[in-house]
Amino acid sequence: MRLSFKGGIHPLKEMHEGKNRSKHQPIRDLVPGKVSIPTDMHIGAPSAPCVAKGDRVKLGQVIATPVGGIGIPVHASVSGEVTGIVVRQLLNKKPSTCIEIANDNQDEWEQLSPLGDVETAPADRIVQQVKDAGICGMGGACFPTHIKMSPPPDKKVDTVILNGAECETFLTADHQLMLEQPGLIVDGLRAIMRGMGVEKGVIAIEDNKMDAVKAMTDAASGREGVSVAVMKTKYPQGGEKQLIEAVTKRQVPSGGLPSDIGVAVFNVGTAAAIAEAVALGKPLISRITTVTGAVNTPSNIRLRIGTSFQDAIDFAGGTSEEPGKVFAGGSMTGIAIPNTGVSVTKANNGIVVLGKKDAVTPEPTSCIRCGRCVDACPVMLNPQRLKVLCDMGDLSGAKKEHVMDCIVCASCSYVCPAKLELSPTFKEAKEKITARRI
Amino acid sequence: MSLRLSTGPHLLHKESTQTLMLDVIIALVPTTAAGIYLFGSKAAWVLAVAVVSAVLCEYLFQKLSKRPVRVMDLSAVVTGLILGLNLPAEAPLWLPAIGSAIAVILVKELFGGIGHNFMNPALLARGILLASWPARMSVYFMPVRVLGSTSVVPAGADAVSAATALIRPQGYEVYDLLMGNIPGTIGEVCKIAILIGFLYMLFVGTIKWHIPVIFVGTVALFTWLIGGDLLKAVLSGGLLFGAVFMATDYVINPMLRIGQVIFAVGCGVLVSVIRMSGSYPEGVTYAILLMNILTPLIDRLTSRRVYGTVKQHA
Repeated sequence: MRLSFKGGIHPLKEMHEGKNRSKHQPIRDLVPGKVSIPTDMHIGAPSAPCVAKGDRVKLGQVIATPVGGIGIPVHASVSGEVTGIVVRQLLNKKPSTCIEIANDNQDEWEQLSPLGDVETAPADRIVQQVKDAGICGMGGACFPTHIKMSPPPDKKVDTVILNGAECETFLTADHQLMLEQPGLIVDGLRAIMRGMGVEKGVIAIEDNKMDAVKAMTDAASGREGVSVAVMKTKYPQGGEKQLIEAVTKRQVPSGGLPSDIGVAVFNVGTAAAIAEAVALGKPLISRITTVTGAVNTPSNIRLRIGTSFQDAIDFAGGTSEEPGKVFAGGSMTGIAIPNTGVSVTKANNGIVVLGKKDAVTPEPTSCIRCGRCVDACPVMLNPQRLKVLCDMGDLSGAKKEHVMDCIVCASCSYVCPAKLELSPTFKEAKEKITARRI
Repeated sequence: MSLRLSTGPHLLHKESTQTLMLDVIIALVPTTAAGIYLFGSKAAWVLAVAVVSAVLCEYLFQKLSKRPVRVMDLSAVVTGLILGLNLPAEAPLWLPAIGSAIAVILVKELFGGIGHNFMNPALLARGILLASWPARMSVYFMPVRVLGSTSVVPAGADAVSAATALIRPQGYEVYDLLMGNIPGTIGEVCKIAILIGFLYMLFVGTIKWHIPVIFVGTVALFTWLIGGDLLKAVLSGGLLFGAVFMATDYVINPMLRIGQVIFAVGCGVLVSVIRMSGSYPEGVTYAILLMNILTPLIDRLTSRRVYGTVKQHA
């Protein structure tokens, strides 16, 4: 019996979730000639640049320091000369301050002092090390990890879940990481468990990656408190709330946090980064990203933070047809980018190119009340009713119908035969309700 | 290089309103074929007029009211076909023409087009025809195939025109009820064909099993309680056709599963009550129409527990 949650869909089922082309492609390293590193990758106030144009920086050197309570530092992802500090419009709503560095290919490191083996490192220093390494949630949210590892004292976390579901379409980066470096991931999990004082760790993987299940199970054997859970291949299995429901049978209270029910969830990539930070003193300067779609060589690439999308696409053999759309992430929740000059961030798990034909969105027609959105919603909302309320402008009505519990997974939009823009409507409604304090 | 910007999902399910309607039409093929086989060319003419009239009415209405023409979504074809299958083969050809016009213009387009009707267009049209021309609508004929002749029905011959099989179901064997060797409308008589269509729609996911199975199950339960012939009650009249093809019309049944169960039980109870004590021999049309009207109420009164919340009443 595979673990699962209620509702959900199986997107792009007929094309194996779009994963086949990059699946099992070994991780390759791309070292770009220059990087443009945003200072606002993480959730929280943007970090403040602490280098100036013309400075020479080492690989791993702090180039921007945290501002405010939940900030994290930003590190140089190549060694070389800072060629400028510029403001650019990237994927965030506001323009981003970016630090540009020309790579001198010396790869001269400046590391943190390692804490040693994850099983013997001083537990009380792990959280600080994670912060100093600039680690944030690499599954997509980029929430600073040290904050997640420090729940309020009245919240007792008893279970850490590593998210290896990778339920988003097209992405195979986590899968490949689990195949190639399972030991590193388990080390990271142990570091998290020790840092948080938690005894139970579960690595959760969907059953379309049974080879990863085996690799992780082997790596976890003999490790204290660590087990592997196999889940049904279903979207959004890797959504934090759905993952928690599947693994622990607990539900995060509406408006609450996982720590309210004693759970903390981390992405497998984040765990690997934590292991490197703790054991080796390596700050977060690169991540694994799937570059696929209309490219000649779909790949899983270890990219330096700040690499341009264009460099990544070129490294994947270039586009195989004229691109109509490029998005960061999978096809369900990925963010479409205006041009390929934007930078790879710590959260960037995928770069997908669509040809002109696939980039066309069909015109919406009338709702026929077929109920597919109702069956798809993993949060048990009634998207059909919510859409009517939002279209009428009745935001307080939508709030009463729990629109704030929508996780914007886009399952409803995906299945809608009338091609209605359901989840974008709910995302907008949520933002308006928050902004206007309805 | 210009890139399209939009929010996700960037790729959608292939299913559209048009493909859903096409699947319903495919599911209706066995029933249509059986009807034409059993009742002969007259049935074919009734069905053809019903479909053409429905499509034409929708096209003209949308054109004249300067709305986007949406006949390609195939919903008018479904409406026309279902209405035609609800008529006796002997119906004069103006009957399907008027019926389809009522269904498409009065019930569907005037309320805002597809998705906005509050009752099933074909069913309400049938109900209006039934009330307006009861003599032509409620006398059903034995399939010509059964009579072994395709000649014109002899006037006043009792052997040919019979009220629906429901009035004296004991007169027919289960085999005949299944194969359609009974008097009735074009589409309702051959239960095997209806069941094939039902299985097709389940297989491709057009509909879920809940409404038809619970609807028919409720009727069966009632029949059992009053000591009737269970199998014959289920296989008589328009019950199966209505449960499979009309009660499942998305637009006018509830959104939540619990609401759909209430809807289906309601349909079953109403059919049983009308069959037992109504002046019409067949209650399926009115049962579904009544539950159609209750659908907004059912939607309002039902809710399900949202993730991470405590169940509350709407």
